Parts: sequence; C-alpha cells; structure tokens
Amino acid sequence: MGIDISIQIGGEAGQGIQTVGQLLSLVCQKAGLYVFAINDYESRVRGGESFLQLRIADRPIDAPYHRLHLLIALDRKAYDLHKSELDDGGLVMIDTEIGVEGDSVFTLPINALAKQAGGLITANTVAASACIGLLGGPLTLLNEVLEDLFGKKEKSVMDKNLMAASLGFKAVQLAKFQWAFSWQEKEPKGIMLDGAQSIALGALASDCRFAAFYPMSPATAIMSYLVSYGQKGLPVVVEQVEDEIAAVNMAIGASFAGVRSMTATSGGGFCLMTEGLGLAAISETPLVIVNAQRPGPATGMATRTAQADLLFAIYASQDEFPRFIFAPGTINEAYDTMQKAFLLSEKYQVPSIVLVDHFFNTSLYIADKPFQVPDRIERFYVTDQEISNPASYLRFQVTPDGISPRALPCNGDALVLVTGNEHSEDGHNSEAIDVRIAMADKRMKKIAAMTKEMKPPESYYGDAEMLLLGWGSSKGAIREAVDILRKYGMDAGCLHFVDIWPFPAQIVADMLKKKKRIVMVEGNMTAQLGRIIKEQTGIAYTHTLLKYDGRPFYPQKIVDQFMQ
Amino acid sequence: MIDISRYDSTFENKWCPGCGNFGILQAMKHALSSLTIPPEKVLIVSGIGQAGKTPHFIRCNMFHGLHGRALPVATGAKVANHDLTVLVSSGDGDCYGEGGNHFIHAIRRNPNITLLVHNNQVYGLTKGQASPTSSIGMITKLQPHGVHQTPFNPILVALSLGATFVARGFSGKIQQLSQLIQQGIQHRGFSIIDICQPCVSFNSINTYPWYQKRIYELDEATHNRSDLKHAMELATEWEERIPLGIIYQSQRPAFEDTIDALKTLPLVKQETQVDQLRTIMNNEHKRN
Repeated sequence: MGIDISIQIGGEAGQGIQTVGQLLSLVCQKAGLYVFAINDYESRVRGGESFLQLRIADRPIDAPYHRLHLLIALDRKAYDLHKSELDDGGLVMIDTEIGVEGDSVFTLPINALAKQAGGLITANTVAASACIGLLGGPLTLLNEVLEDLFGKKEKSVMDKNLMAASLGFKAVQLAKFQWAFSWQEKEPKGIMLDGAQSIALGALASDCRFAAFYPMSPATAIMSYLVSYGQKGLPVVVEQVEDEIAAVNMAIGASFAGVRSMTATSGGGFCLMTEGLGLAAISETPLVIVNAQRPGPATGMATRTAQADLLFAIYASQDEFPRFIFAPGTINEAYDTMQKAFLLSEKYQVPSIVLVDHFFNTSLYIADKPFQVPDRIERFYVTDQEISNPASYLRFQVTPDGISPRALPCNGDALVLVTGNEHSEDGHNSEAIDVRIAMADKRMKKIAAMTKEMKPPESYYGDAEMLLLGWGSSKGAIREAVDILRKYGMDAGCLHFVDIWPFPAQIVADMLKKKKRIVMVEGNMTAQLGRIIKEQTGIAYTHTLLKYDGRPFYPQKIVDQFMQ
Repeated sequence: MIDISRYDSTFENKWCPGCGNFGILQAMKHALSSLTIPPEKVLIVSGIGQAGKTPHFIRCNMFHGLHGRALPVATGAKVANHDLTVLVSSGDGDCYGEGGNHFIHAIRRNPNITLLVHNNQVYGLTKGQASPTSSIGMITKLQPHGVHQTPFNPILVALSLGATFVARGFSGKIQQLSQLIQQGIQHRGFSIIDICQPCVSFNSINTYPWYQKRIYELDEATHNRSDLKHAMELATEWEERIPLGIIYQSQRPAFEDTIDALKTLPLVKQETQVDQLRTIMNNEHKRN
C-alpha cells in the first residue's frame, strides 16, 4: 500500500479552512503527489460548520476517502462533529486554547505561535506547517508555496508567514504520526484546479466568446473563472443578466450572430431556460448549457450535490427535438467535453447540455494530462462565396442529413431569417402540413449522425461478470470501488458514461449482454441512467446503489452498501 | 436614400385591414431607407404578438423568437456583431407584460439598439384580452367586470430607470414616426419608442378618433429634451392630451462601449487568440 492519507480541516466558514487547505494541497502538488479535495459547506458566508477534506496519494485519485487520518479542528464543534470519523491511530490537531484532551488529540498552541510570528492572521500558516511536519514533509516546499502566494506583497507579510511556518514546523518535531512518509523530490503530476475551472477553460479552448448567466450555486464559479480569464486579452464577453430566461436568450442571440456562446446554471435555472432550449432547437442555433446539478426540487439544497437532472435534461422540451448531453467524470474529461459540446452543437446546429454537479465543480483535482489548445477552431457556417445564390439563401434548406448550410447575419448579401415558429425553408412562419412534416423530419434526421459521434462508455474491467454503471462525477469513486471489490476477490468492473445523448444504444447493448449483474450507481432515487438503458436497449439493470443525501460518493461506502 | 422597395418582403401579410401596424411598418422601411442602411446590415428581433410578426414583412435579417424575450436576443446579437443595426419590434403584452423584466434591465444596460413597442392596449393575436396598458374599466371577454389594474406607464418607468432615449409616436403619423425611428437608430444607446396604435378589431376605446383628439407634437424648438422633470410630467399626460416626439434624451456609455473586448472589431470578426489561450493554460501550470 502506497501513500493514501486523508486530512480534514474543519471549522466555521471564514476561519481559514480554505487557506490551510490551499497551502497543504499546493505543497503536496509541488512534491509530485496526487491530491484531491472536497469542500463541504452550508449556504452561508460566515459561521456554520464547514470542512475541506484533502486526500493525498501517490496514484491518481478522483474521490474522497471515507475515514480521516488527521483532523485539523479549528474549533470545538469541528472536533465534536468529526472525531468519530478518525481512523484507528488517527490524530486530531487542535489549538491548546480550545481545551480538548484525549488519546488521539494532539494539542498545539496555534494561536499563540501565530501571535509570536507577528499576528493571528498567520494562524493558518502555523496549522499548515505543523501538518506538513507531522507528515514528514520538508519545510522548504511550504516556504516556496508561501513565496508564490505572498512574494509580491510587502516584505513584512512574507516574513511573518515564514516565521509562522518555522514555528509550526518546530512545534511538531517530536510528535509521531503513523502515516508520516518519506517525501521524494518529484515533478508536479499536473495542474491543480477545481471542476468549475476546467469547464471554463474548456469553453475558452472552444473559442467561446459570449456567456450570459444569472448567479446560482454551484454554477456561478464557472462564470467567475470566465470573467477573470476574459480579462487576459481574450475576445470574451461575460454578462450577468436579470434572470435565467435572459441568460439563455442572450446566448442564443449572440450565437445567432456568429459567436460561440454558453450559459451555466443549476436545476432551478435550467427549468427557466427550457423554453429557450426549444428556441435554440427550432431556430437551429448552436448553444451550450452547463447544468451544475444540486439536489432539488425547487431550491432544494444549494450547497449539496446530486445527479438527478439527467432525465430532465434529456426530456426538457416543448415537443421533440435532438440535443447532445454529456456528463464528464474527471477534470480532463470536462476540459475535453466542453470542446466537444461546442463543436458538435455548431456542427449539428442543436443545443448541447453538459451535466456536472456541486461535487465536481467545487472539488480540487490534479489534471494529469496537459490542457491542449487546438491550432485552429473548426467552424461550421457558410459565406456568400459558398452559397450558389446568396439573394435566395434558405436558412432551413432541406438536406439529406438534415443540416442546412448556416449563414451568419451581416456577413454578406445572404439574409438570415430565423423564427421560433414552425417555418418553411426560407425561415418564414408556416403551418402548412407538408412544411411542418418536412421541418420536423429535417431536425430529427440529424440524430443518426449525432449518435455516431457518441463515445462508448469507458470500460474498466468491462469483461467482468458484474458491472457497476455510472455517469458524471462519480467516476473516480466507482472505479476505486471496483478496485476494492476485486481485492475482495469479486469479478467486478464498471462502465462510465460521459456521452449520454443521443444514447449509443447498440454499443451499450453489446457491452451489457450476458452480464450476471448490472448495478446502477447513481446520485438519484430512481436510477435514471438505468431507466434510459432499459428504454434504449431493453436490458434491465439488476441492482441499484443509489444516493440522494446530497453528499458525494465514497468508494468504500459503495463497496459496503454493495456487500449488504 | 436606398430605394424603399428593397425592404419589401414577399411574405403574405395577414394583419387586419386598417391595423396600425401598417403605418409602423411603413415608417420602419422609410427610416431605414433614409438612413441608407441596407437590408443585410439590419437585424430585426421580435417576440410574439402581431408586432412580433413585423420582421416577416420587411426584407432584412430576422430573429423572431419567444414571447417577451426579444430584448435579450437582440442584446446578444448586438454584442456579437456591433456592425448590425438592431431593431426590436415588440408589443405592449410582449414588452411590458411577458418581457417586463427584460425591459427594465435593457434600460439599465443601455445597449445600442432601438425598441419599437406597438402599444395598442390590447392583446390582438390572442383575440382581445386586456394588456398591461389597457385602461381601467376596459371590458373584455376575459375581464367582464372591467380591468382593475392600473395601466403600466412605459414612458414614466423608462424615465425613472435612467433611459437615454424615450419617445412616443403614433402609427397614424408615419412621417413623424420615421423621424423618431431614425433619431432612435442614430442615438448611441438604448432608444425606446412607444407607439400608440389603434387596434381596429379588439380595442373600441382607443380608436383613431380617440387618438386624433388627444395627440399633439412636442415643439422641437421649445421642448428641452434633457429636462427629466419636465419629461416626467409629459409622461403622465394621457387622458386629455398625449405628447408625441422625443420626450427625453441623454447620453451615457452604451453597453457595448463599456466592454473592452468590443473596442475594436466586432466580436464575431476577431481572430481566435490561440497563443493567448495557450499562455493561459500554461500559466495555470506555473501558478500551481
């Protein structure tokens, strides 16, 4: 067994949980370790009990660990709430002032040392440094991280933090921590970022130039990343608008005029966007919508996670129309999936919906593949030169594959006429029977080619007699659960779906035939993907491991639930 | 001037004979031709209602979208390509009812687009229900005891929100309306033209004679357009007298002017910044 350590920093929101977590994870990343962190907080800015749980390993990890090896309790409540989650031999690090005692308690005068270093504000550095010390890590790496973070500020800030680091480190020199390990100098395994950031970067790499949004957790972070990257000389406009209806319509307007556009929201906002989704469909305007899921219905739980909008995303519509649905499971998949969503949305002139969730957006990952930017962005519109007679251009020309050559307004002599009403080839309203049938058929005809664009689910021990099936952000947890089950001697594997709609039915049917057990592992109450598989392939799942408590999947808990 | 027939659409018009929309349509074509904006540079965005059908009857680019949602679509299109002259054709139900929130926030945002609201104080497309601007007491099949809500006052609301161009026209005064539309298009910022318009089929109160008795043109020589207080007084005139013309005009940066990324070429015409994108992705590496 290599390195696999779980550290939790708990306390009140605003107490410095993020700072301690950031320092620790940056040090580990610099040391060439893999890190993964979840953020757990209530829907409030200050107060309330929050935690960040950091997992450190020497192999890729995309899921949290179910027990704690080290709990850094920034207040008494964090100790009371989480001490029962300590693994055997685990430690609680807590300020001496709080006055907690016990076998597994390691007290440290954190605040006193911080004052000694120059101010209470450095308490987080003391705590992080003590933690590095317990893990057997080098102080030099922490000093480097502090230099990266504070090097540009006034010298006294840096000096105080270096002093705090030194004091915290010395204070634990005699302490024993059973998970301490020998740190080796290695190159970082990749960049460290949260899920929302990978979605934003993926959008930028797709040449997305316009984004409109209304703030809603956990989607807002995507937009704030777009705003900050947009200030770095990119042709990107991000606008906060009056509501989600404006967001989707504004994105459609910008896309109609020729720039790649998106919006991001959560389930409630997506409800408001549904009419706009239909408008994108009938006007055949490319559009990318990110739905960062959280538990519902209605407001539900704003800072918790869920995978329960899949069927809604597939079926949200007036009438029927084609769309793409993707649900990336890792940080690299999210970056790549955004590019695929933009590309295919434009190629087929249909909306693309990308499903992520609170867990994915707010968790910290290491991307072990670099984020590539293509030399050229492939675009799918025509200019006057490619239209035989621009004066009689037909925006909705019926073609064998259902895709009409798309001209842009104000880009030549071709006039572009688009309507959300049923329309004839020229874009004017029409309710004629033959026109209606031709247009509905034209739109739906795209599905055959769209389905061929769908990547099959990723198979991990796919030949096993028992398969766990999941989609989206639970990928890491399910794969790790498979590892554990296989260690227990079970012939288990998994399939993970990113490209969900149009459903690649034939491929999936082939992968599932003759399986003894098909276990749906989903963050909803009714096995939504399982129902889709049954509908599309006729193959019924045999078991379910469903979770709708608003919390993320833990590999061992999947296994435990399965054993029951 | 561009030959006005270049804006003629061959699509069959099904508005009722005598509808005020015809006058508005004529004024729109006249304004575009006078300003020599060719059809391919014009985008008319509309929502739902009889006013929403307008762009089908003018030869130019068209986005005929959802009920109430023309303004967001128009704003998005303008941001993407500010070379487009963007007009929005809406009605009292579409703009002041279903799309009321967008009306409010478009005023705050001040995009460089021109909004024409065909305000006939009744729902025409859905056959005669009360609209946000219907008079108190107006009896319809759906409001048999008469409308009890206070009418929405678009001019006063626009002024209170800091609108930079607020005008009122009348569908029966095509020349003046064309002038207002031209000035609205030339105004840098959001220009709002509320257009009084009789509905010959469903509004038996606000008829042509009803309007003819009340409307008067603001004297351009004496009316001070920058006087907000006076504009607000004019906005409350209705039952006795209805002022036509530019009620208020002021200057503040248009939405597009506040966006750095739009300082040069239209967004849609700019090059993809591959090198800059790579730098961003690489800096992510370095920062961590």
